[in-house]
Amino acid sequence: MSIKAKKCGVTFAPPSIIVIYESEDTKKMRKRVIPVRNFFQFSDCGRAAERLKHHARHSLYLESVPLAQLERLHTVLRDHLRGLTLEESLAAQRGPDPNDEDLNKLSDEALNRRKAQMDIVFERNRRHKDDPDFVYDLEVEFPQNSVRETCSWDEDRSDDEF
Amino acid sequence: MAGDANSIPELEQEKYDADEQVKIICLGDSAVGKSKLMERFLMDGYRPQQLSTYALTLYKYTTTINGKPILVDFWDTAGQERFQSMHPSYYHKAHACIMVFDVQRKVTYKNLSNWYKELREYRPEIPCLVVANKIDADMRVTQKSFNFAKKLGLPFYFVSAADGTNVVKVFKDAINMALSYKKNSSDFMDEVMRELENFELESKEDSSSDKEEECKEGKTD
Repeated sequence: MSIKAKKCGVTFAPPSIIVIYESEDTKKMRKRVIPVRNFFQFSDCGRAAERLKHHARHSLYLESVPLAQLERLHTVLRDHLRGLTLEESLAAQRGPDPNDEDLNKLSDEALNRRKAQMDIVFERNRRHKDDPDFVYDLEVEFPQNSVRETCSWDEDRSDDEF
Repeated sequence: MAGDANSIPELEQEKYDADEQVKIICLGDSAVGKSKLMERFLMDGYRPQQLSTYALTLYKYTTTINGKPILVDFWDTAGQERFQSMHPSYYHKAHACIMVFDVQRKVTYKNLSNWYKELREYRPEIPCLVVANKIDADMRVTQKSFNFAKKLGLPFYFVSAADGTNVVKVFKDAINMALSYKKNSSDFMDEVMRELENFELESKEDSSSDKEEECKEGKTD
């Protein structure tokens, strides 16, 4: 049986990847719902996508679907689990390289979206004052003398400014 | 500069001339974590004053240094940085500056030079601390050296507002530097004002010293 995937998408409840495909033998359009299992808000989307792509029963239908697309779909699912809306998730994925993205130039709404994303990391690494090992004045020394790698950010032409 | 400050009547800046009061400003791009750093330092004790008309948040902080109570006003940008530039009154009478970038975003590091340039236009001498925030997101950055601060001879800190690394240290250092700047400020106008004040006090004392003596004696009785 030869399969040609035409469209690929996700549903949130239950978390699934949807493939609309054409069976080349019968020339009929069909829909396949592939449940996404063992996938949580801190799961690795790349690995989950690969797992699905090589899945014993589903790989046939996903052959012509690029891995990157499957990974993006998993990211949408994961963002949903993290409480982001679909728009927020898509906007985040569309976003340019964070290193070059000047957030000073975004609208209030877009800026708040980016801040919400950053808050995920912030909250994950956050030490609360109720934590047993909380230290208010936490000082950590990062020795400056040793052989240090110069940050690549200093290596381009605008370096002259500094 | 003074004229510009007067255009914001709600923000009476003369108070920053008093010995026990300092003004410390925060600079840096949007979303580098300036407010998060403030909140981590002040914990529950903060009372931010939103002056949204001026895209400004004020945090008041009281501490004791060498037995003397010190009032610190921290000025935070509240989105004003989006105009790539701050209103001159933001810099007016500031005694120290905390300049922040996000180690996850190169553009915020590159923009430091713009912020620094603007700072020096208004406040050529005040202490400026450079803060590399969000090291919790990728601890490997602490293995690297960032030349911006080094080249300008500015103090540099690896910091995380999330896990608290070095946050309190930055603010304590900033307050101490602000105070010592204020004490040793060689600003010409400051000197002149001080001289004038002393002169007035002396002449008053001269003319009324006899009366004062009498008053004092009268009171103690």
